[in-house]
Amino acid sequence: MAEYHLTAPLKDEDVTKLKLGDIVYISGECFTCRSRLQKYIFDEGNSLPFDTKNRNILIHNGPIVVKENGKWRLVSFMPTSSIRFEKWGAKSVENWNLKMIVGKTTMGKETAEMMKEKKCVHVSPQSVSPNLWIDSIEVQNVYLFDELGSIEAAWHFKLNDLGPFIVDIDTDGNNLFDKMDKEIEERKIKALEKLGIEPDYEYTKLY
Amino acid sequence: MIKTDVYEQALFETIKRGATEISPDVKDAFINAIAREENPDAKKGLSATLESMEMSKQRENPLCVDTGWPIFYFKVGNKCELEGGFVELENAARRAVAKATKLGYLRATMKHPLTGFDPGDNIGMNIPDFTYKFVDGDSIEISYAAKGGGSECFGGTRHRIVAFADGIKGIEKFVVESFVASARAGAVCPPSVLGIGIGGTANVAANLAKEAACLRTVGSKHPDPMFAKIEEDLYEALNSLGIGILGGGGSTSVLAVNVEYAYTHIAGIACATSTNCMVARRASSRIDAEGKVTKMTSPNWFGDR
Ligand code: SF4
Repeated sequence: MAEYHLTAPLKDEDVTKLKLGDIVYISGECFTCRSRLQKYIFDEGNSLPFDTKNRNILIHNGPIVVKENGKWRLVSFMPTSSIRFEKWGAKSVENWNLKMIVGKTTMGKETAEMMKEKKCVHVSPQSVSPNLWIDSIEVQNVYLFDELGSIEAAWHFKLNDLGPFIVDIDTDGNNLFDKMDKEIEERKIKALEKLGIEPDYEYTKLY
Repeated sequence: MIKTDVYEQALFETIKRGATEISPDVKDAFINAIAREENPDAKKGLSATLESMEMSKQRENPLCVDTGWPIFYFKVGNKCELEGGFVELENAARRAVAKATKLGYLRATMKHPLTGFDPGDNIGMNIPDFTYKFVDGDSIEISYAAKGGGSECFGGTRHRIVAFADGIKGIEKFVVESFVASARAGAVCPPSVLGIGIGGTANVAANLAKEAACLRTVGSKHPDPMFAKIEEDLYEALNSLGIGILGGGGSTSVLAVNVEYAYTHIAGIACATSTNCMVARRASSRIDAEGKVTKMTSPNWFGDR
């Protein structure tokens, strides 16, 4: 698997070359988003108070940021499960011209379709290691802090080679975890057999 | 009589330790998992997680940004006397959670379930959660556990009534199927500490599962060989699935499988699962009748079952 060090704003050619399982590190400007922000924009009819043209990486995360001597300090950071915002995933990719979503787990079918159309990838962490990441993140600014609270506000970060993240949805809409499902299903059948549970075993139906 | 400022300070210290320091048994489980991991990427992921967790102690920051639901377990001596009584103990726990949030050891994660209102201090209706167990003696053991959102929200915590006709087979099938579905793409942040509650009503089984996930020493076995065998068999079965750290593939999908049980109705066997995520945060302290506070390395919640 290849390893790439990419810099935002990302161009189509930066992301179309990425294959499932590739490792990426990212630099440049991005913003954070959680569902409350998407609800605020797409369901409650507000508009995003900043431009995403040169900030086309969305990091799905609710960071811990504290203010010290008038400056923001990032205390902790860990991408969170993207599947939670599947409802607004396609709209986010389309309206905000996203080229990359950084989040835990993955996206669903509808978003993956839009990602294919708009050339966008999803990448996810393979560890829970906030302390290996926070030094690569500079807090630039925050939007909608009063409206959405510190966790669900849109933070602007400047990244310095943040990673590693693994590509789990590519720009053809392929999903790494869909591929893994088949292998895991086969191993599950074997594991159940070892426990003495045959593949055609059925529970007594109580309800 | 244990003074309010003594138990309030102990509560705060326990929260801070639980949020920022890896438990020794969890650390051992990581070291073992790294040693036996066959997938190089998973090995890197496990090592990076352990490295970051060790840095948290020195940086005094949370082991994970999601600092979870704040949950307290009090193992109380029958003759334990607290200044202000147990109502004040709970008030002190709320004050300690608010303080830990203000200082950045906890993220303000708890919100109103319908309006989304964020009180900013993790305090609200029925939160934090308190559970009591009464034993002989005059001391109190306090345990703080933080149940991560991923570990709780993606089907790692669920319940089913299994017929007596199905017995252990039915229970094990339910556990394996639930775990596979919940760990897909790393949703519950595996490798998990999987707690299983067998018997009782649904809430009894669910509480036992949560306590087995959050409070059992990782690496301990149930003293009853019948239940220890279920733990061992499921540990082998789940680690043969290849789900790995955050679902990216690997030899370790669970750090432990812990089973606890209660007697049940002849009509059926309530069975519940609860996955704790890999950071498996908790801390415990004992306060004796004279007010001496001792840090505990493990909760000892199941010491007398
Ligand atoms: S569930 Fe995952 S994201 Fe949440 S606390 Fe646990 S490791 Fe962190």
